Amino acid sequence: MITKHITEVTTRFNPFKKPSKTCRVFLAYLPANARTTMKINTTVLPRDSPEPSFLKLKFKDGKEMQLDTEKLKINDLEEEVDRHSRTLNRKADLEG
Amino acid sequence: MITRHSYYNTYTWLSSPSHRTSASGAMAPILPICSRCLHHLHNKPTTFTTYRTLSTASAITPAPPIHQTTTSVPPIARFPPTQPPSHKPPEYRKTQLHRQYTSLLRSAPLLLLFQHNNLKATEWMAIRRELHSALLATDESLNTSYASHIKFQAIQAGIFESALLVAEHYDPSSNNNASTPHPTDPSTSSSAQIPNHLPSPQDPTLTHSLSHHAYTTAHPHKKTHPLRPLLSGPLATLSFPTLSPPHIRTTLSILSPKAPTFPAPLRRTNPGYWDATTQGGLQKLLLLGARVEGRVFDMERIRWVGGLEGMEGLRGELVGILGSVGMGVTGALEGVGRGLWMTVEGRRGMLEEEEKGKGGE
Repeated sequence: MITKHITEVTTRFNPFKKPSKTCRVFLAYLPANARTTMKINTTVLPRDSPEPSFLKLKFKDGKEMQLDTEKLKINDLEEEVDRHSRTLNRKADLEG
Repeated sequence: MITRHSYYNTYTWLSSPSHRTSASGAMAPILPICSRCLHHLHNKPTTFTTYRTLSTASAITPAPPIHQTTTSVPPIARFPPTQPPSHKPPEYRKTQLHRQYTSLLRSAPLLLLFQHNNLKATEWMAIRRELHSALLATDESLNTSYASHIKFQAIQAGIFESALLVAEHYDPSSNNNASTPHPTDPSTSSSAQIPNHLPSPQDPTLTHSLSHHAYTTAHPHKKTHPLRPLLSGPLATLSFPTLSPPHIRTTLSILSPKAPTFPAPLRRTNPGYWDATTQGGLQKLLLLGARVEGRVFDMERIRWVGGLEGMEGLRGELVGILGSVGMGVTGALEGVGRGLWMTVEGRRGMLEEEEKGKGGE
């Protein structure tokens, strides 16, 4: 997963529900020095909380991406994020 | 026999000179044997030696022990007792991890589950160091020694899940159908192959947690365990040898501080905690939940357990409650007497006043 264009990650999940896996694995995909390059806000909900999990990303070009982690698996999420990151990569290459 | 031979030899050696001297004269006997020996040879029963040997043998062989006459001795096991056949090959790392996790789950009353997101080795080291020093301080204040037994280790989620099921749903003592064959049973001859001595993992009499029986007993509960959603991704456990709220409070104030009950250590008193490496590691640790004496707790419930006062605090509270009850009882009992006294005093006062009034008139 291309993470170098992400500037902010906001996520909230209830670990006792199955869809939280997507958010948790996404957090595990971020590199070891991620906290120095981006802002990460994580909220762990209590066990009986009915709130759905969500993930919000901000990119360097200002684009915000709200992802529905209740439906998306980690592979789908990776695809979504990489689609935008690749365009940013291309832009950076053309600017040289 | 030996003595007789030696006697015979001696005799022949002694008689030989006479034999040589008489060789020129009269005919000497070809085989000179003394009369006593000849007598023995003629009159000795032929089965004498055999008979003696037999009698000696029957005297030496002991009678079989009593228990062997009621139950037969099973054939010799074909595996060492410490290495019974397992469901998975024992030489694999995952098998040994399974053993380790089962033992951990059975022995530790409290397990905290954390997610660790790409922690570096130095960050792990810093966190463990800070945790250990804080727990040592708690130990000193409480006069206990748990700090060295509180372990923070990364685990493999899949194997941990399987071990959890075995630890919770499989009781080795419930499976006691080991074979005790009766001696009259023809299948218990020494050449018979009794099932629990065949090196097969499917054998129902093998009761260890890696056995096939343990697997089939625990496996149906796989989908229903409440801790199951937590067991994915990078996980770490913090295991406690005992349920001690002051130690939990110390741990939470280090690993996931929250201001009023679990404050982080001060920068002035504990600069190592505010080190960039430690803080970098702590940001990547997420407290997910806990397993407390077989029950599943979330973060808030764990904070509640950590907020408890422990045995000392509870004792103080109990003394307070009992003291207040005693005061109340004393008050209630006193109240009746005091009421009576007040009435009698009041009545006396009234009578005195009446007498005074009468005297005045």
